[in-house]
This record gives sequence, structure tokens and C-alpha cells, in this order.
Amino acid sequence: MRWDRYILPLTLLLVWEGLSLIKVIPSHLLPSPGRILLGLKDLMVIGMPPGNLLPYHALYSLYRVAIGFAFAVLFGIPLGLLMGGSPRLRRIVNPVIELLRPIPPLAWIPIAILWFGIGMKSAAFIIFLGAFFPILLNTVSGVVSINPIYFEAARTLNAKPKHIFFKVLLPGAVPSIFVGMRIGVGIGWMTLVAAEFTGVKSGYGLGYMIMTARDIQRPDEILAGMLIIGLIGVLINSALRVCESRIVRWQ
Amino acid sequence: MKTASFLTVFVALLLLGIPSLGDCRQESIRIGYLQSDIHQLACWVALDKGFYRKNGVEVEVAGIFKAGPEEMSAFAAGALDVGYVGEAPATTAVANKAAEVTVLAQVNTEGSAIVVGRDSLVKDVRDLAGKRVAIPGHSTVQDFLLKKALVKFNVDQKGMNVIVLKPPEMIGALKTGQIDAFIAWEPYPAKALTMGVGQVLLTSHEIWENHPCCVLVAGNRFLSDRPQDARALVRAHVEATSFIRNFSDEAVAIGVKYTGMDEPTVRLAMKNVTYTYVLSIEGEMEYVDFLSRMKYIQRMDPEAFVREFINQEILGDIIKK
Repeated sequence: MRWDRYILPLTLLLVWEGLSLIKVIPSHLLPSPGRILLGLKDLMVIGMPPGNLLPYHALYSLYRVAIGFAFAVLFGIPLGLLMGGSPRLRRIVNPVIELLRPIPPLAWIPIAILWFGIGMKSAAFIIFLGAFFPILLNTVSGVVSINPIYFEAARTLNAKPKHIFFKVLLPGAVPSIFVGMRIGVGIGWMTLVAAEFTGVKSGYGLGYMIMTARDIQRPDEILAGMLIIGLIGVLINSALRVCESRIVRWQ
Repeated sequence: MKTASFLTVFVALLLLGIPSLGDCRQESIRIGYLQSDIHQLACWVALDKGFYRKNGVEVEVAGIFKAGPEEMSAFAAGALDVGYVGEAPATTAVANKAAEVTVLAQVNTEGSAIVVGRDSLVKDVRDLAGKRVAIPGHSTVQDFLLKKALVKFNVDQKGMNVIVLKPPEMIGALKTGQIDAFIAWEPYPAKALTMGVGQVLLTSHEIWENHPCCVLVAGNRFLSDRPQDARALVRAHVEATSFIRNFSDEAVAIGVKYTGMDEPTVRLAMKNVTYTYVLSIEGEMEYVDFLSRMKYIQRMDPEAFVREFINQEILGDIIKK
């Protein structure tokens, strides 16, 4: 057990709690760690708005991310493989991608609401936009970076295109695809919270929960909500790392 | 040597400059109000007709907000000295110790409405059961009024979907069928009517007669540091409120200017609002009681809270004079 990694966070927490106790840090601007934990308890027991409990907020948010992310994977990986394999297709598609990629997903919110209304579809669309480009670009770069010798060797051995795809191209690109997926889901998760700020139909979602806590002026619950968002982000990333290490065993 | 003399001159200038700056420049008061909220017409009238200046204070608009809770966050951040805001978000912020403000005067009573689509099948409040209704935010006056209406008219709340939308987005959402109804401050109900999108199902007058709505609040630090300015501000507010009642046409024109809406809409909207500076203590107690029952704030003694929260002295003096 490497205990030294806990020294800094624990010291910071203690200093923070101490400064809050002697009122150097005003609680309406930054509640103390203890107060945030009580806020977390309130989110679990009373809910925000009262009645809507934290676990459901988290589940709804995860559901939205799962849908948006699934679409990003479904479109991003095949298109990325095709673009990686064909320089001509890359030349044709790249200008559009380069134009759309720098637009922040959040800038799409008003259009998303116009196209898909308030709720699930528009949130999923925003998350899709956040996750799609990292997945696509990493897939392309994964394919492009495969050593051409492998393709030549396969061709020399009379491998059919199908076999080259499954035995050389796909395995060669998988590590990079996973990097894209991890970045994509991370951006998707960050975007989700902001997407939920604009309105949800179900009354659930972590972003919606935080905005409601702001409405009711509970900074402790806002920070507790942020903490949960961070923790879930870490969990998603670790889950993807585990999948990656299982699938990409040869690395 | 050069550096030393430069420093001497610099420090001398600084010492000379600081007090003179403090003496000459009158610090302007930072004010906030809600975007296109016709309830807060008195603020716009006072700005437009120069009532603040006439009463000896300079006012600077430091924030225009989409809903009351946002404005209260600005108070918490120390970004506002005074503001026109709904009584419910102000109460929630003070009760939850997020912001320290005191109510100085009433701004209006009534002036909100529940609106449904023009061809809606919802003909009665009870028909709202199971429907999707938009509010401007949690702990807004309208959130409070909707809950009160549901209780008063015995509406089945199970399955009703209350969502948060900012008033400027509500009419569009109603038009496209994304919501079945909304409750908002005027002029949005009037706008839905004049646009042919919606019809009023219930006015807030029918929900709670003479209910207090917006108030003029001041940050507690501003109030203790600059009590004379606070008095001047209340004087300007009283003057502006009287102006609205006496010079309705000119007030309408100012309403048109600040909301950006057409004249028929503003006229229609103003009919539903009662402009008054008279404080409603019983109304505030009801807010405290209801907000704590909704679990937005902790249980407390409404009377003790109101004593601290509402300053009746300043307004009382001004009215007497």
C-alpha cells in the first residue's frame, strides 16, 4: 500500500475544514468538507428537488451517456476504419470533419433542442457530438500508424481483404480505438452535465440536480453533486481500462 | 537616484490621489432585475425617468437575470447591492444562509398565470393531472403558486411532470407540444395569448388573492454601510410605483422598451399585475411556512424570520413623509 499518495489530499481536506471552522472560508461560497458530506446525505435521503433521490439522478445521467456514446462508437469506429484504410476517402471527408470538430458540443444545444426537443434525444445528441470526434480521429490514426510491412506480409501470404481487415487492420487499430473511446466517454460525460442544465423532461439527471440545488441555494449539495460526477467519471474510465486490458492482451 | 525620485513622486501621487478619489466619486449602486419581467416595471421606470438620480443616487445595472435563484446567487457572490426579485427565491436564499439580504419594499402583487395551449384539452386545473408543466425554476414564486394551486384545487400530483424552463423558452415549448402548460410571470402569459399560442387557464389572482410577488431587496452589507442610499432608493421606488399607477401610457411605453415586446402584449400583461410598494407580512409568513413544508428550507418560526427579513421602518418613514 502506497500511503504517501494520500498525504496531500488529506492535508488539504484538514486545512479546508479548519479554515471553514474558523470562518476564514465563508460557508455560502465554499462549504466545509463535513458540510458537503451532510449535503451528500441530504441528496441520498431527501433528494433534490425534494423527492428526487441521488441514485436515480446518476442512473438517468448514465443512461443518457450510454445512448450517446453507443451511437458515437457505432458511427465513429466503422467510419474511422474506412477513412484509415482509404487515403482518398480521408481526403474527401476530412475537410468536413475539420470544420465540425472544433465546434464545442455545447454550442449545439440550442439547435439540438430545436431538432430533438427537450430531453433524452437532445442530451444524447450532445453527448454523441462530444464522444464522436475523439473516437473517429483515434481510430483513423490507429489504422494509419500500423506498420505497412504487416499489410505487405499478409498480401504476400495471399490473405484475402476480409482476413487483412480482421487479422491486421482491426487488431492494429484497437489500442488507439480504446484511447479514443476513453477520451470520448470522458468528454461525453462532461458535456452531459451541461446538456442537462438546459432542461430535462424526466426531472432526473446529475446536471439537473446541481441546477436545482442552485435554485434552492444549497452550495453543499452542489459540491456533493460535483463530487459524485467526478467519482462516476473515474469509475467509467477504470471500467474502460479493464475492458481494454482484457481485449488488448498482446500489448 | 532616478528610481528613488520616481518612487517618491509615485508614492506622493498615490497618497494624494486615494483620498481625493474617495471624496469625489460617488460609488454607484449595483442593481439587478429579471429579464423582461413586467412586475419589475418600477425599476425600469426609475431608471428611465431618472428617479434614482433625482433622489441623489447613481445606479448601475449590474445584472439582468433569467430567474430569481440566479439573481440570489449574484447576491451571494457579492455582485449586487440591491435587486428586484421574487419573494420566494429571496426567502429561500436567506433561509438557507446563501445570501444576506433584507426586503425594503413590495414591488407587486399577483401577475402570474398558468397557460395552456390554444386548443388544449385542459379546460380545468384538475385536467393538469398527468400533464407536463413548466416552471421557471425551483423555489420561484411560480413554483410556489403551482404547488399551491394543485393543493387548493385538489389536483392529483402523481404522474404530473414538472420541468424547469426559462420563461423565454416556454412559449416555443408550448407551441411545439413539448409541454402541456406553463406558469410564468407576465408578460409571458400575455405574449402566449397575443401570439395565438396559448390561453390562460388560471391567473395567480385565482390561486391566491393579493399574493405578494416581487420585492425590492438590499444586501445587508450595503444596508448597514449606506443606509441613506438605501432610503433614497426606496423613495425612488415609491415614486416609480406611483408613476405607473398615474401615468399608465408612459409606463406602458417604458415596459415596451425594456421587454422588447409589442404594446398590446404589455398592456394586457400589466392588467394582471398590481403595482404596490406596501409590504405584505402575512404573505411572507405564508411563503416561509410553505417553503419549509416543501423541504426547500428548514423548519423555522415564520414570525421570527420575517422580523429579520423585512425592514418595515424605511418604507414606513417614507410613506409618512
